[in-house]
Amino acid sequence: MKLDTSGFETSMPTIGFGSSNDMLDGFSTVPSFDLPRTTDFDGFQKEAVQMVKPAKGTTTLAFIFKEGVMVAADSRASMGGYISSQSVKKIIEINPYMLGTMAGGAADCQFWHRNLGIKCRLHELANKRRISVSGASKLLANMLYSYRGMGLSVGTMIAGWDETGPGLYYVDNEGGRLKGDRFSVGSGSPYAYGVLDSGYKFDMSVEEASELARRSIYHATFRDGASGGVASVYHVGPNGWKKLSGDDVGELHYHYYPVPPAIAEQVMEEAAAE
Amino acid sequence: MSIFEYNGSAVVAMVGKNCFAIASDRRLGVQLQTIATDFQRISKIHDHLFIGLSGVATDVQTLYQRLVFRHKLYQLREERDMKPETFACLVSAILYEKRFGPYLCQPVIAGLGEDDKPFICTMDSIGAKELAKDFVVSGTASESLYGACEAMYKPDLEADELFETISQALLSSVDRDCLSGWGGHVYVVTPNEIKERILKGRMD
Repeated sequence: MKLDTSGFETSMPTIGFGSSNDMLDGFSTVPSFDLPRTTDFDGFQKEAVQMVKPAKGTTTLAFIFKEGVMVAADSRASMGGYISSQSVKKIIEINPYMLGTMAGGAADCQFWHRNLGIKCRLHELANKRRISVSGASKLLANMLYSYRGMGLSVGTMIAGWDETGPGLYYVDNEGGRLKGDRFSVGSGSPYAYGVLDSGYKFDMSVEEASELARRSIYHATFRDGASGGVASVYHVGPNGWKKLSGDDVGELHYHYYPVPPAIAEQVMEEAAAE
Repeated sequence: MSIFEYNGSAVVAMVGKNCFAIASDRRLGVQLQTIATDFQRISKIHDHLFIGLSGVATDVQTLYQRLVFRHKLYQLREERDMKPETFACLVSAILYEKRFGPYLCQPVIAGLGEDDKPFICTMDSIGAKELAKDFVVSGTASESLYGACEAMYKPDLEADELFETISQALLSSVDRDCLSGWGGHVYVVTPNEIKERILKGRMD
């Protein structure tokens, strides 16, 4: 059984190139992944699933408002208790007007988002118009559905602006696809939802919305051990996405809750010499 | 995650010139969720003896109460404070009593013994004592702490330099651990005074 990598196929014609077939040998075979040859394939699969399972340690969120879509995420990668990185890019730029967020296995999210970007570009070339956010998320959901049960770990949000306006979809590795106005994904999502839901209004300006997003991510990093690092905020408008800010969460804490200088209760003074 | 990683903790003690420092993080969590950022892990037994306990928070508090009780009895009977070496033997015995249903904590003991000579030691959860001349560590961040202490430690540091060293070692190690951090608590003890300080750390 081979994985579907049709996104990588070249559509070079295999006829009409004359006598030498050696030139085509590299192109005519479909590239594909090898599956591991083990005695216990199911056991190996189960181990692989368990290895990736705790890895949705992250906080990402996205919401639609009057001026477009706001997307924000933290930047911590953790393996169990160990922090492997504080500077992971969790907001993936699929193309200049569409963003995807990463939660779950980093490799899975990076690969499938890039694959989605390829499919979107092919759609543009074939149909002479940009793909809609609905269409892009459907492509991703269908690809992930065909790998259901094989241990992929992907909890992503596709955010973009198309002809119908701003669009936001949640897609996960079970093949689920949900359209919505507000989503948060990852182990820190309950904390982010608390702040996001209480501060949300549809009629916000870009500054207010970005502050709400930043604050939600900050609160999630405070309470959740698996989230932290840098809170990045992106805005998707009619002309595409723009990165608004990337603030270190350690400094944000003291910005929101400054420590007042301590007043000494007892001060030792030198005894006056007589 | 193992039971020792349920609450998350980081404790470290270092020896200086006629002084010692003991430091811990301040987080209390339930697996990944942070419940409190002011949890006391280091407790005073007497003016020249401190114990820091890492591991499951309920055992940290219960074991501390048991040890204070035993030390108070000792004070009544012997009319003096316990020496750190004696206290370490007491802790080891109390932990081994529960060999087949142990207290799920790893203590770090630091004190000034005879002639104000600093004494530090650590134990596993069933009382295996490990004495050291330079530093001891315990908790979920222990591997990072070993690395940081090994790199930053120098023998015979004065109290203020020792404070800087132990603080930097603690903060840089807990920044690599999801389950500990959210500030720091440092005690620097010399023969004449105890300095308690709270560290401003990354709150993520």
